Amino acid sequence: MVKLTMIARVTDGLPLAEGLDDGRDMQDAEFYKQQVKALFKNLSRGQNEASRMSVETGPYIFHYIIEGRVCYLTMCDRAYPKKLAFQYLEDLKNEFERGYGNQIETAARPYAFIKFDTFIQRTKKLYQDTRTQRNIAKLNDELYEVHQVMTRNVQEVLGVGEKLDQVSQMSNRLTSESRVYADKARDLNRQALIRKWAPVAIVLGVVILLFWAKNKIW
Amino acid sequence: MGTENPNRANNLQGPSATPFAAPRANMPISSSHPMVGSQTSAFRPTSVPAMPNASPFSSPGPTAGSGTPGFRPMQPGRATPSYGPPTTGPPQRVPAPQFSSTSQPTPSQTSHVGQPILPPSMRPPPPSYVPSVPMGSPPQSLYNAPSSNNPPRSFVDSPYSASGPNIQPPPSSTRPTYPGYPGMQSNQVNPPPPPPPVYNQGGYAPSQPPMPAPFSSHQGGYGQVPPVAPSSGMYGGGSAPPTGVMSGLAEDFCSLSLGSAPGSFDGGLDAKALPRPLDGDVEPSSFAGMYPMNCDSRYLRLTTSAIPNSQSLVSRWQLPLGAVVCPLAETPEGEEVPVVNFATMGIVRCRRCRTYVNPYVTFTDGGRKWRCNICALLNDVQNDYFAHLDATGKRVDLDQHPELTKGSVEFVAPAEYMVRPPMPPLYFFMIDVSISAVKSGMLEVMAQTIKSCLDNLPGSPRTQIGFITFDSTIHFYNMKSSLTQPQMMVVSDLDDVFVPLPDDLLVNLSESRPVVEAFLDSLPSMFQDNVNVESAFGPALKAAFMVMSQLGGKLLIFQSTLPSLGVGRLKLRGDDLRVYGTDKEHTLRIPEDPFYKQMAADFTKFQVAVNIYAFSDKYTDIASLGTLAKYTGGQVYHYPSFHSTIHKDRLRHELARDLTRETAWEAVMRIRCGKGVRFTSYHGNFMLRSTDLIALPAVDCDKAYAMQFALEETLLTTQIVYFQVALLYTASCGERRIRVHTAAASVVTDLGEMYRQADTGAVVSLLSRLAIEKSLSYKLEDARNAVQLKIVKALKEYRKLYSVQHRVGGRMIYPESLKYLPLYGLSICKSTALRGGYADAQLDERCAAGFTMMALPVKKMLKLLYPSLLRVDEYLVKAPTVDDEFDRVCRRLPLAAESLDSRGIYILDDGFRIVVWFGRMLSPDLARNLVEEDSATDFARNQTRRTTSGRVLSTLKFS
Repeated sequence: MVKLTMIARVTDGLPLAEGLDDGRDMQDAEFYKQQVKALFKNLSRGQNEASRMSVETGPYIFHYIIEGRVCYLTMCDRAYPKKLAFQYLEDLKNEFERGYGNQIETAARPYAFIKFDTFIQRTKKLYQDTRTQRNIAKLNDELYEVHQVMTRNVQEVLGVGEKLDQVSQMSNRLTSESRVYADKARDLNRQALIRKWAPVAIVLGVVILLFWAKNKIW
Repeated sequence: MGTENPNRANNLQGPSATPFAAPRANMPISSSHPMVGSQTSAFRPTSVPAMPNASPFSSPGPTAGSGTPGFRPMQPGRATPSYGPPTTGPPQRVPAPQFSSTSQPTPSQTSHVGQPILPPSMRPPPPSYVPSVPMGSPPQSLYNAPSSNNPPRSFVDSPYSASGPNIQPPPSSTRPTYPGYPGMQSNQVNPPPPPPPVYNQGGYAPSQPPMPAPFSSHQGGYGQVPPVAPSSGMYGGGSAPPTGVMSGLAEDFCSLSLGSAPGSFDGGLDAKALPRPLDGDVEPSSFAGMYPMNCDSRYLRLTTSAIPNSQSLVSRWQLPLGAVVCPLAETPEGEEVPVVNFATMGIVRCRRCRTYVNPYVTFTDGGRKWRCNICALLNDVQNDYFAHLDATGKRVDLDQHPELTKGSVEFVAPAEYMVRPPMPPLYFFMIDVSISAVKSGMLEVMAQTIKSCLDNLPGSPRTQIGFITFDSTIHFYNMKSSLTQPQMMVVSDLDDVFVPLPDDLLVNLSESRPVVEAFLDSLPSMFQDNVNVESAFGPALKAAFMVMSQLGGKLLIFQSTLPSLGVGRLKLRGDDLRVYGTDKEHTLRIPEDPFYKQMAADFTKFQVAVNIYAFSDKYTDIASLGTLAKYTGGQVYHYPSFHSTIHKDRLRHELARDLTRETAWEAVMRIRCGKGVRFTSYHGNFMLRSTDLIALPAVDCDKAYAMQFALEETLLTTQIVYFQVALLYTASCGERRIRVHTAAASVVTDLGEMYRQADTGAVVSLLSRLAIEKSLSYKLEDARNAVQLKIVKALKEYRKLYSVQHRVGGRMIYPESLKYLPLYGLSICKSTALRGGYADAQLDERCAAGFTMMALPVKKMLKLLYPSLLRVDEYLVKAPTVDDEFDRVCRRLPLAAESLDSRGIYILDDGFRIVVWFGRMLSPDLARNLVEEDSATDFARNQTRRTTSGRVLSTLKFS
């Protein structure tokens, strides 16, 4: 059963449309929406380029397809047939491209195509029940190479970005610390030099002073 | 500044030649660019006063071979008469010196008539200054007479008086220097052309605008007469004070002789002399005048545009200090609020106080930084928003940024401003179908109206709609688009209400249109024979809440009996006459059952606004029901003893407006203000989400909110206080937007100035809200007294300002700006919500009126308090001609018994209903033509009783 449906632009993660009364009976719908948003943000950074992907999260699973710089994402129960979910997304995609395909790049505000939600509602209802004749027929069709779609875990996906961030952070820290180290080393060198030659210089100085004093007196 | 004030004083009291010369001598030197500063705006008022004064001189003044003919027609009609007498004598004396003297500068300057530039205008002063000396006292004595009209003071005391000298030149000469105020400049530049030949003399006005050189400088001023004249409201006695303008007295208050004036035979006062707001509400011009980039006064009105600088001033001001905000006021064609989209850049806001960028922020550091006008923090300008500054410190791309030039602007909200995708407009109807609803015909009218409005509901094609009906059970309707007829489901378990269907109770209107229409068609007949008298209001409300909580939206409740079943059942109260006048009286006006307040809180949380339509002829406890509307930003419509033949049109009109007007959904509003000022209380129909965040599930143009502010510090050090109202909402089209209104008001140190710049409309609006709130916790009597006391105290305080200097015994004095205040004060006390006691208004009507008044915008409120009365029989008898003639023929009449002639037909219109009053001696033909035969008898009876509230013919509509 479809729980959430969101459509976003991949280039900057701008949400374009969303199924409206999604998350009606879910307690933690907000949490998953946040996850979806994080996912979009990740996508906009150019990671996870795979155009079809399933991402597990808790008791649910996100399915998304990316086409024409738009990401169509839905969240279903784990038990919901993958094939149907992708079929559903495919339907949305076709309709969305037909209606708004040329405006996607110019959309400047979030949810610019919120009107699309009525279509999402309607389509969702068709896919609600997996056992209707229509859906069973679809299940039997080998339309898509759905079984090839990679499945990963959401922590993994979201983690990739974080890890990269961590690495770059660490390397940054490394650079700055090595610079500090170099400074300190130079400092130490100088101190060592001073320690080594200071006594000699003092002795010489005293001697010269004595000479000078002797000359002065006489 | 220093020079001017004393000089001014002298001038008023004892004319002498010296003060004249002294300041003038200084003036030319000091007047110049640097002074112009940000104060340009302040000049506007000043230039106005200048011209009325001038009139006496100019008319005789041969000066104006060119000028005179030109300006005379321009002069506002009312001003002339008051000057009349003084003009005759003195002017003759004057022209001679004046002329000869001015003749000298004149020729030299005629050259720059067209485009007076500063340098030239600076030169003139010396020469012209010479001539004025010989004039010596004559001009002054002269001057005094007209000055009874005395607009001028307002600027003298204002912080800007220093800049007074620059008045004349600014329009043109400051143009280059004055970056910030393009709007106003154009304003002023335009007018001057008419009297160009004289303008040069105006040019020399830099010296002293108001008094010193009345003749010449003022003529310059004439050019500006037309644009500013209508604004008279704000200027002292500018608009013909009622009775005695004490002519020798150069003060800016009006007075009204009360009691038996010495020498008059009849005691009491002359009713005709009382000021009456026959022109409706006059918006204060000072608001926009001083700060041309302020938002329009239809959005935000301050009770006074002069903010007091100290606590002591606040306490002496007596009246409430606050603002009335109508964020979505209807805009006339062509003045729509510009929409700005920052796209990916994000909205530019102050880092610390979160103020939105507005025309009053200043850019510095070559355009890399901007200073917040509210908290003075220096913010960085983002790269995308960067633009270079030109020589005057303006951004070069100013014309592409409406947010930097307009006081009202709408930002497209980026995703951070959304907790969820923008909701669709949603209308849910909860309809009482018990016997009284059917019998009164309400059901039928309502169903028809809703059906006729389906096309015009905002937000198509996303609009959602749904219905619940209830009597002793609750009926749900499945309106799935695939059905042809709606399916009805009855839930009779009132203790544990459940929703029988997960979806399809709320449907997309465009998809299920046929089903919805079928439902509305069959609704009246469906319950035709219903004899159920019970009303399970509470459970039905809960059911509606369950259906709506997913999306929010607007819930329209049609209720015609007292809720009698299930949770939230109410009982009869208010019958007990003995309660009135005791301490328990107010409990009748507050909700009886906490259930309603709790429900209202839940509704607000889920973005549901509730509108109540109440129809009963019996008690329905509007006080309780109205609570739902009060805390959800809704509205209460009350039709006492609804009967479809009489109230049909009113219901139809109001329901249609409610359904089709542009509405903002899931909104929150916040008002920010400068340092040292803090908003303390809010009054209106809404729920406060945090201390200063107003939650409004639905807002529209007919809702206004009032708020009071207080000074946080004992002394305000700033010169200007800024206010910014921001309303974040979802438009019906599905866009999330932020509407921002910004206004500036100057800080003053003088109480008189506060009174001068007071705005009666806002004061009245705020006072009435306070009074109504007071009536919820005290006796009606107390609420009324509080209003009166406030007004009396304020006037007393005002009197103190002037009575010391002048003898004003036996007269009531009041500032011109507040001349209608006493009248409106009385109207508040006589309004349905507050008048009398037990017998004077039904409890339900009283409460409904209270809820209505809490939401009304200023203009509608004033209309309700002081309805317009028109005499129409003359117009009707005459052959119908062009439409616009109606306005000309029928003028508003004062609401006094004298204005009713028993041979006439009158229409009284308070914005909610129209009362037609047929005089007793009305010619029968006319009456018969107007009213059909059968009701003519009915009407005859009314006639004999002479009730003004006879028949409500809301059908009569005039443009």
